[in-house]
Amino acid sequence: MNSLDPRVNRLDVSKTMDGGLLTNSHLITWEVFHQDKRGKQVVHCGIVHANTPEMALILAKEQYARRGKTTNLWVAKTSDVFTFNSEDEDIFETTPEKTFRDPGFYKVRDRIEKYQQQNKLNV
Amino acid sequence: MYGSTNLTEEEAKRMSTTQEDPEKLEAFEARIARGEKIEPQDWMPAEYRKQLIRMIEQHAHSEIVGALPEGTWITRAPNFRRKLALIAKVQDEVGHGQLLYSAAETLGKTREQMLNDLMSGKSKYSNIFNYPAVTWADIAVIGFLVDGAAIVNQTINSKGSYGPYCRALERICYEESFHLKQGHDNVVYLATGSKIQRDMLQAAINRWYRPLLHFFGPPDKMSAHSEKLMKWKVKLASNDEMRNQFLDMYVPKILELGLTFPDPNLRKNNEGIWEFSDPDWDEFKRVINGDGPCNKERLAVRRYAEEAGRWVRQALMNPKDKYQVPLA
Amino acid sequence: MSNAIKDLLFKMADDALIIGHRNSEWTGIGPMLEEDLAFSSMAQDKIGHAQALYTILHESFGEPSPDQLGFLRTEAAFRCCRFVEQPIGEYDFSIVRQFLFDHAEYIRYDLLAQSTCKPLALLAKKVKGEIKYHVLHGDTFFKQLAQGTEESKARMQSALREAWHQALGIFEKSEFEEELIAQGVFAGEDELKKRWLAKVTAVVEAAGLQIPETIESKIDFGGRRGYHSEYLKQLLDEMTEVVRLDINAEW
Repeated sequence: MNSLDPRVNRLDVSKTMDGGLLTNSHLITWEVFHQDKRGKQVVHCGIVHANTPEMALILAKEQYARRGKTTNLWVAKTSDVFTFNSEDEDIFETTPEKTFRDPGFYKVRDRIEKYQQQNKLNV
Repeated sequence: MYGSTNLTEEEAKRMSTTQEDPEKLEAFEARIARGEKIEPQDWMPAEYRKQLIRMIEQHAHSEIVGALPEGTWITRAPNFRRKLALIAKVQDEVGHGQLLYSAAETLGKTREQMLNDLMSGKSKYSNIFNYPAVTWADIAVIGFLVDGAAIVNQTINSKGSYGPYCRALERICYEESFHLKQGHDNVVYLATGSKIQRDMLQAAINRWYRPLLHFFGPPDKMSAHSEKLMKWKVKLASNDEMRNQFLDMYVPKILELGLTFPDPNLRKNNEGIWEFSDPDWDEFKRVINGDGPCNKERLAVRRYAEEAGRWVRQALMNPKDKYQVPLA
Repeated sequence: MSNAIKDLLFKMADDALIIGHRNSEWTGIGPMLEEDLAFSSMAQDKIGHAQALYTILHESFGEPSPDQLGFLRTEAAFRCCRFVEQPIGEYDFSIVRQFLFDHAEYIRYDLLAQSTCKPLALLAKKVKGEIKYHVLHGDTFFKQLAQGTEESKARMQSALREAWHQALGIFEKSEFEEELIAQGVFAGEDELKKRWLAKVTAVVEAAGLQIPETIESKIDFGGRRGYHSEYLKQLLDEMTEVVRLDINAEW
C-alpha cells in the first residue's frame, strides 16, 4: 500500500479479514471499579474486555487510571454482578412518613429546657 | 470523535409509524421530559434503541478510524513535547472508541458485530477521516479544528437521554479539551514560526476547510427531520446550529493569527449567522459512499489490525466463557 | 569520570527513545482496543524516560537540550542496542521484546537506585512504578500467549528464538564498564545480565517454553559502540523528517 503513513507502508495489508469476527472473539466483559483516594468509595467507572481477572486489571489500568490519581482498581466479571430489574425501581420508594429514620426527626431540646425550668436546674 | 443522527427520508417516515405499547411509551417519554436518564435495563422503544446504537456505533468507529489519519505522523513528530502529546492524543481516540463501543454494547450489539459492520462498510464513520493528513501541519489543524468541531457535537450530545452514552461523553469531553489545547498550541507555534511553518499551516487550513463544513452534516433544509429524535433527546441540535456554533468559536481564533480561510464568502451576517460558499454537498455524499481519498486505506488498515490481532485474541479467549451484555 | 556516566546515560536514553518510538507504532492498530491503550501508554513512558535521561545529560553534564540529543544526533552517536532498533514485526515479536527488554530495564533501574550518580538514583526511584507495570504487563501477555493456542505457543517460542541473541546485546559493555563499577555508579552489565537471566528463565520455563541456547558469537553486539543495524538510520531519518524541514524553527 502506498500510504502517507510510513507505519502503514510497513504493514502487510494484504493480510485482511476473511469472514467476520465471531462473538466473544474480543473476549468477555468485566465491570471496573475505581478508587481515587484512600478512604473514598470505590466507584464503578466502566468495562473492559479481557479473559482473566489479572488481564482485566492490567488492561483497566490504562483505560481508567492513566490520568489523575488512583489508589486501586477492582474488576468483576459482568456475569458475576447482580442487579434489580429496573421496573422494580419502585421498591426503593419510601413513604414520606418514615421520618423516624432521619436524624432531623429527633428533637428533644424543648423537652430538656422545659424540664430544666420546671426543676430550676442551673447547669 | 463524532456521532451523526442524520436520517434518510425513508427512516424518518418509518419512525413515525412504528407502534409501541402506548402506556410504556408515555412513561418513557415522561421520564425524558423530566430530564431523567434512560439506563440500559429500562424499557425503551425499539426505534430509540436502534437509533442510539447507530449513533453511538458511528461515533465509536469515528474514534478508531480517526486514530489513523493522526497516526500518520506519530513516528515523525518533531520533538519530545509533540511526540508525547500526539501519541497520547491518538491513544485517547482509541480509548474513546473503547468507551463508546462499551456504551453501545449495553444496548445489545456486541463489539464484534459493530466491528464487522465497520469493516464491511455497512456502518459509517465520520466523513472527515477519509481525508489525508498530508503534512505535519494537518496534525495541528486536526488537533485544533476537527477536535474543536467534535467538542461542539459531543458537548451537546452529552446532554442527551441515554445514561451510558452521557457518562462516556463526559469523560471524552474532558480528554478532548486536552486535544484542543495541544492542537491550538501546535497551530500557534506554526503560525508564529518560520515562513516554511506558516505556509504549511495555511495550506493545511485550506485543505480542511471544506471537510470541516461537511463535518456537521448537510444543511437543515436538505436533511430529514425527526421530531421524535429531538423529543427523545437523541438529537439535541440541528446540523446548522452546531455548524454555526463551531464557526463562531473557531473562525476568529484562526483569523487572529493572520491566517485565512479559502472562501471569500465566509462572514457573519447581521443576525449572527455565519454564511459561506456552497461546500459541495455532492462531494460529501460521494465520500460517504466510499469514494473519498482515503476510504479504502482506512478500512484496509482496520481489517489488517483485526486480522493481525486475531491469533492474540484467540489465544486469550476461553471457549467456555459466555458473553453477557455489560451493565453500564 | 563524567565521560563514563555520560556513556551510561546515553545508552539508557537511546534505548528508551528507540524502543518507545518502535512501540508507539502500534498505537491505533493494536490487537484489541484495551491492549492498544496499554501498549501506547508504555511507549509514552519509555519516551518520557528518554527525555528525563537526556535532561540529566543537559543539566548535569553540559550536553545540548533533550530535543537536540534525541532528534538531531547522527546514527553513529547513538548508543542504543540493536535489539530496540528492530522493526515491530508482528505482535509476538513486539511482546517478546517488551518482556525481555523490560526485565532488564527493571533490574537496571533497581541497581541504579543505589548509584553514586545522584540524579540517576533519583530518576531510578521515580520510574520504578512505571517499569514495574511494564514487567507485569509483559509477563502476563507472555505467559498467556505461551499457554494459549498451538499457534500462539509456536509463535512465542519462535519469537523468543528470533529475539534472544538480539536481547543479549543489551548487555554489551563499553570501555567505561570498570570505571562505572569502581566508582559505584552502576553494578555492571555482568551483574545485570546474571539477574536478568534468572528472572526471564523462571518466567519462560513456567510458561512452558524453552530458553534458546546462547551462542556467544551470535550475540548482536555493536550498538553500544555506535555500530547499528540497518534499521536505526531509517528510523532516525523518519523520526526527524519534520524537524529537518526547518532545523532552526521552534516546533
